[in-house]
Amino acid sequence: MDLTQLLNGIALGSLLMILSSGLAMIYGLRGVTNFAHGALYMAGAYIAYSVAQQVSFWAALIAAPLVLAALGAVLELVFFRRLQHRNHIEVGLVTFGLAMIIERVIVIIWGERTLSVDAPPGLTGTTSVLGSDYPSYRLLVIGIALALAVGLVYWLRKSRVGLHIRAASHDVETSAILGINVDRVSLLVVCIGAALAGLAGTLAAPYVSVHPAMGVAILIQVLIVVVIGGAGSIGGAMLAGMALGILQTVGAIWAPSLSVLIPYAALVVVLLWRPQGLAGKRA
Amino acid sequence: MKCTRSTFIISALAVSGLLAACGSPQSAGDGNSADGEAVKVAVIPPSSGALAQFGQDAYAAWQFAADEVNAAGGIDGRKVEIIKMDTDATPATTLRAAREAVNQKDAKFIGGVMTSTEHGALNAQLEGLGALSFNGLGKDDALTGKDCNANAFRVVQSTTMDMNAVAEGLSKLPAATWDIQAVDYSTGHTSAKVFKAAADKGGKKMGIEQFAPLNTTDFGSYISKLKGSDADGLFAVEYGADGVAFVNQMAQFNLSKKYDTVLGFNMVSEPLFKALGDKIVGFNNNLGYDVNSDEPKNQEFVKAWAEKHDGARPYYVVADNYLSAQTLFEGVRKAGSADPEKVKEALNDLTFNSIAGEVTMRGADHQLIRPSYLGQVVKDDKGTAGLGWKILHKADGATIAGDPSPDCTL
Repeated sequence: MDLTQLLNGIALGSLLMILSSGLAMIYGLRGVTNFAHGALYMAGAYIAYSVAQQVSFWAALIAAPLVLAALGAVLELVFFRRLQHRNHIEVGLVTFGLAMIIERVIVIIWGERTLSVDAPPGLTGTTSVLGSDYPSYRLLVIGIALALAVGLVYWLRKSRVGLHIRAASHDVETSAILGINVDRVSLLVVCIGAALAGLAGTLAAPYVSVHPAMGVAILIQVLIVVVIGGAGSIGGAMLAGMALGILQTVGAIWAPSLSVLIPYAALVVVLLWRPQGLAGKRA
Repeated sequence: MKCTRSTFIISALAVSGLLAACGSPQSAGDGNSADGEAVKVAVIPPSSGALAQFGQDAYAAWQFAADEVNAAGGIDGRKVEIIKMDTDATPATTLRAAREAVNQKDAKFIGGVMTSTEHGALNAQLEGLGALSFNGLGKDDALTGKDCNANAFRVVQSTTMDMNAVAEGLSKLPAATWDIQAVDYSTGHTSAKVFKAAADKGGKKMGIEQFAPLNTTDFGSYISKLKGSDADGLFAVEYGADGVAFVNQMAQFNLSKKYDTVLGFNMVSEPLFKALGDKIVGFNNNLGYDVNSDEPKNQEFVKAWAEKHDGARPYYVVADNYLSAQTLFEGVRKAGSADPEKVKEALNDLTFNSIAGEVTMRGADHQLIRPSYLGQVVKDDKGTAGLGWKILHKADGATIAGDPSPDCTL
């Protein structure tokens, strides 16, 4: 595999990494399998499309995560918090319904047709990486994802809020007894998780095509990434997202017809070999 | 609340089933009272999912045709009534909608069905339903081959007809060596096979041939391989959202500059012009309908459509569904009846003037014999998003249709 193909795998892995880390954060703290995460990603891409049309792609990179963070706050305050003592299958189904609502709203606003967003000026061409020409925009995606991964992990490990998030993810009741405001932490986590979905959608907009089915298409992959990583583990989700991106790219080179099966095969292998996921702890 | 990992996994796997099974089976028909003389047509296009925009346009074309003929007094006095049904483009939902339309709403004719898979399932049920289907969208060869049916009439060109038109026009394109990038689906493989035969006949050489699974979003690995090829022409069969992603990523990798000629099959079309923009100027593609055709009926149709749609001109989905409606109306007119059996008989080998010129519904396999084109995307102020088509080659319908498939017995 040459350098270009490796970079292709890292670029795809970067998108999966950002998206799955948000989902893993929400699951880790709220215990919610957020089936609306794909729809949030799609909403991010559509918002990015409009903001990029009206202002610029760089404005979209800020605006879409902010709008999605606000949407995340609504999700937390209206649904997740009120449903926190309900069976998580029920909550999961509620998020599934939310995904359908979000998709419909998007179709009403933007229509059914496939849209596309141009890469920002200056990043439309290629850049030479060790002698290989590679799309500059994909390098930006990789750079943002890696910076985000490092920043997020550092923040979770070193900051006081990060400590509270890790504590609440481990045991909500004990954290509350110890004085951590779990509701506030949850609100923050769901907002960040949704914002990450918005960021992934924005970065994906010039990368793939923007269409109403894009959320559904990636949701299964992201759910698999989170399970492989160890449900609730942010680091595990990031690792699994990157690994799956590279594996899928390799698969597309060596066995294109079978590459769609790679996420499912990886899921089966990891669950047989390490049922708790790559970074999960045994229950 | 603490959840177990197994719950997460079960939920994650369950959602794929839910996503696949989810449809929208509700009907939007108006359920008028039965009228023996009315020509009742159930139009069943997708109203949700990625094909919904095409579905909306297909319905608009049928309704436009019905309004037009009704305004002129109907077909020999018979009014046309459109009964709109909803589907999500899955065979099960479409069949359910077709049964409801025929059994409860008294529809005798069906149009607007989108995919070849739906048509395949519908064809098998048509005789039991006692209804006729007019296919303006499903191009799979099997629909006039092993899956043909006496009650099913295909108005749109088959995949092979379109590919034969492209193959005929290949000599007009300059590239000497061709790479193939196609979807890993029957359309992709059939198109690649026909293309290679035509290229071989025309003395062209072949380079890389690769297939990407349907719904591929990242073409990076495929494009990286194409960049290493020496070919000067690219034949690409990627459509819908896949096609948009492929074209955009081609631009990001500067792949378009590597090839002198890019030839798409079902890759670039009017609904995608806005999304693809100027990147596709100079791309070549098959074209089923020529909006600029000087056929008198076409000129009238384009003018009337534009007047009713804020100046927007019809594209292939609209035109092919309008032509489907015209085919039905011609059948009813010749039969002098709205009885499906009589209309079926009347349509066999019927020749009539249409927006595509003089066309014939071939009795042997119920394929409409009509021309197909090879076009090049050019800048056009009157076109969608400032883009339009220059016709490079017009292929004769009878030539590209070839002989009826021996697999089809009506």
